[in-house]
Amino acid sequence: MASKRGLSRIELLQGTLDMIILQTLRWGPRHGYGIAQMIRANSRETLQVETGSLYPALHRLAKQGWISADWDVSDNGQRVRVYTLTAAGRKQLASERSRWEQMAHAIGAILNPPAERET
Amino acid sequence: MSARDDDELAEELRAHLRMAADERIARGEAPAEAELAARREFGNPTHVAEVTRDQRGGMWLERLLQDVRYGVRSLRRTPAFTVAAVLTLGLAIGANSSVFSVVNSVLLRPLPFPAPDQLYLASYLPPDLPFSPPPGLTDRHWLPYRDRQHSFAHVTAYNRRAGTLSGAGDAVRLTGGRVDGQFFTTIGVQPRLGRAFTRDDRDQSRVVIISDRLWRERFGADPRAIGAFATIDAVPLTIVGVMPPGFSFPASSDFWTPLDVQLDAHNSFIMSVLGRMRPGIAPEQARRELQSLMAQVPRDDRDPEAAMRADILPLKRVVTGDVSTSLLIFSGAVAFVLLIACVNVANLLLIRAASRRREMAVRVALGASRGRITRQLLTESALVGTAGGALGILLAFSGVRALLAIAPKGRIPRVDEVHVDGRVLAVTIAVSLLCGVAFGLVPALQSARRRPQEAMAGGGRSVSGSHGRLRGSLVAAEVALALVLLTGAGLMIKSFLRTREAEKGYDPRHVMTMTVDLPTQRYADARAQRAFHSRMLSELARLPGVRSVGSVTFKPMTDVGMMGDFVVEGTSPTPHGYGLDKILVSPGYFATMGVRLLRGRDFSEADNASASDVVIVSESVARRVWPGADAVGKRVAMVDDPKPDQWMTVVGVVADVAQDRSMDRHSAMYFPYAQSDWTFILGHMTYVVRMEGDGGEASIAPAMRSVLRSVDVTVPAQRLQSMDDALLDAVADPLFQTRLLAAFSLIAMVLAAIGTYGVLAYDVAERSREIALRMALGARPADVIGMVLRRTTVLAVSGAVMGIAAALALTRVLEKSLYAVTPHDPATILLVAAVILGVALLAGFVPARRASRVSVLTALPSD
Repeated sequence: MASKRGLSRIELLQGTLDMIILQTLRWGPRHGYGIAQMIRANSRETLQVETGSLYPALHRLAKQGWISADWDVSDNGQRVRVYTLTAAGRKQLASERSRWEQMAHAIGAILNPPAERET
Repeated sequence: MSARDDDELAEELRAHLRMAADERIARGEAPAEAELAARREFGNPTHVAEVTRDQRGGMWLERLLQDVRYGVRSLRRTPAFTVAAVLTLGLAIGANSSVFSVVNSVLLRPLPFPAPDQLYLASYLPPDLPFSPPPGLTDRHWLPYRDRQHSFAHVTAYNRRAGTLSGAGDAVRLTGGRVDGQFFTTIGVQPRLGRAFTRDDRDQSRVVIISDRLWRERFGADPRAIGAFATIDAVPLTIVGVMPPGFSFPASSDFWTPLDVQLDAHNSFIMSVLGRMRPGIAPEQARRELQSLMAQVPRDDRDPEAAMRADILPLKRVVTGDVSTSLLIFSGAVAFVLLIACVNVANLLLIRAASRRREMAVRVALGASRGRITRQLLTESALVGTAGGALGILLAFSGVRALLAIAPKGRIPRVDEVHVDGRVLAVTIAVSLLCGVAFGLVPALQSARRRPQEAMAGGGRSVSGSHGRLRGSLVAAEVALALVLLTGAGLMIKSFLRTREAEKGYDPRHVMTMTVDLPTQRYADARAQRAFHSRMLSELARLPGVRSVGSVTFKPMTDVGMMGDFVVEGTSPTPHGYGLDKILVSPGYFATMGVRLLRGRDFSEADNASASDVVIVSESVARRVWPGADAVGKRVAMVDDPKPDQWMTVVGVVADVAQDRSMDRHSAMYFPYAQSDWTFILGHMTYVVRMEGDGGEASIAPAMRSVLRSVDVTVPAQRLQSMDDALLDAVADPLFQTRLLAAFSLIAMVLAAIGTYGVLAYDVAERSREIALRMALGARPADVIGMVLRRTTVLAVSGAVMGIAAALALTRVLEKSLYAVTPHDPATILLVAAVILGVALLAGFVPARRASRVSVLTALPSD
């Protein structure tokens, strides 16, 4: 872990974390720990979400109605809170994605102008 | 509900930790290490919980409740602070809202008519004589004005009148109004039963409209009262209407009779004129119109109006005029008390904040955000403000009752409308919350700004210079505010004492008076009136224990009277505006009232209708009109170009008498009632009886009443009053004001003393280590006391200097209420400053002594 530190610590912009959570929940309901694990795995260990950011984000999204929270019992018999993507959340994800893609495209265009890419 | 949310969040976070640890164990780590690593990765659970909680909806309410709960708990831990702060605010707010309620009811709340701001009186105003209310217009001016003016939608003329209601029950003397057909339309209030007057109702119509009060008390609230008779001044009048409850204009009227104004070429009479202004007309326009219409009326130099100017006045100002100055003085005084209270609470909060620096530092270190701490402290001070406000409201209700109880009877207009109302409550609550929040803000911001290391390292013993200075200047401000109030009270007390000691020109001891109004129907001419008085006087003189009797048309210490000018033989007419009291008396009046005869003789029984006319003048008239000469033997007349038999000879000179409540001694001219034909003042007479020695006044009253009954059973006694009581009644207003101001300034002084004590006590506590060190190094207790008292003196003196400056600027508002004292009376100001300094030193002495007893052993090793 220590060796990866320089690489893995990427500060996520707030809106970005929200989008990533919504995206993660597209695969089905998950509890907080599961979401964190999945983000880490899917980003090839690059993005490590701080619990101090994750839980506020989850509660914020729940308040906005983009995800819903229910209590469930995990495989090992522990009571866990499970978050599910709502219809509104799906719509929100779509719009955030398209915005994100536009921005990524724009930033990409600035960082890699076509002329340079040719070389 | 919020507690459940918190539990659930905690459970969620625990599950997270558990799963993280389980996974590490599953990967083969040792359980203990796995747990530790998971925990490290997770971070500070409290912090996570806190920031997560911040995201929740409806958070503010929950947090507010939490802050309130925490605030209540922490306030309960420091009961001394809490009680002091709440009591301070409660007392000040209670005083504030009770006086504000009175001010509000009398000054701010409109008259009980629709759109009262549109109502104006049109009147001639005298150039200098103090008339209140303004006299009005004469018929010669009113009739053309009524027909030609356009500024007012309605104009009405009315007079005040009195009448004796007889019939079922005792005869009672009532005040009423004589009003024209437009009166009720102009005011905008119609009878609740029956009808208003119309233009067809004449003086001789014999109809009357009665008040709701009279309808209930004398007619059993019976709707059949309409059409029944009310006998007023022995004339049966048909009741045509009953006014709604609370309507008593003008001046506590209980009945209204019609007034139809006709031009009287010989004798013009004056009536009040009231108009309801048309929308869109400026008062200035109405004023100019009145003045130009008045200028078109042919002038008659005999009219007193010749020297006057016509003007319009807002009705409201006239109705509340007398008391507005004193009410404003009290609002100022009360605002001062509230300011002092707020300063005190600010000081208490500052001290509290200083002693909680460590607690706050710990909370910041544990992750509480600065905003959160500020909010917490603000909640606490708002709680103090609210509790103080609640206590204040409770006190306000009893305060209003107390104020009305010590207020002189009948001197606060519309007294039945005075009560604590919603607006007063709103203002009070706003003030108390503002006090708490505004003064909580400084310490709250200071606490939040301080870095934890600093406060913790200071160990709560660092002397914060800026804090100390702020507290010091607050104390100085308190001293200054209290000094201003005390100065005001001191001036009022001095003025009140001077009023009582003032030479009044008569001797009130052992004198009883009885005032009678003769019904005009029964006693229509001067001869009948004089005969009545003569009989009364001879019957009264026969009562046992009576030394002498007399009668007078206007007894001293009343506000009614008649003023006028006169012609002096051999000189040009007296200067314009030189008016003096014209008073009818009986022989023996001066001796009975104790008015000194300075020259010449008193009237005698021989000065009657068949003898030549005589007058007695008061000393200032003699000095002014015949300077350096003997007034006795000179002649005066009451008419221009007198015929030979209209001259009156001065036969005596008496002392000037304080005729009204101002206590200023008046110039007066006295006439024997037996020679007078003035029926309009002969009908109002006060009989004066001087008793032999002490204690007879009370027992003589019933005897005087029975004399009146034996002379004419239908005539009611309007008032029985000893001259001592009349004097007390006359000073009731200043006494009320003086008492109130004295009470306020005492509260102010006590609050200032508490504030001074609190600050110095805290200073001493904060410096106990330094003091102990000094004492260990050889300082004597006296040195320590001196050190603390020096600081007290510096604070108190600087406060006193500010206070004196403010007092010099502010006491001018008292000018009108002061008698024979200037608002800048140096003796009062110096005395008050000395008292304040004394009290401040006393407040400083207690902590000073405590400081001198600081034990080296307990103070030094603390921590």
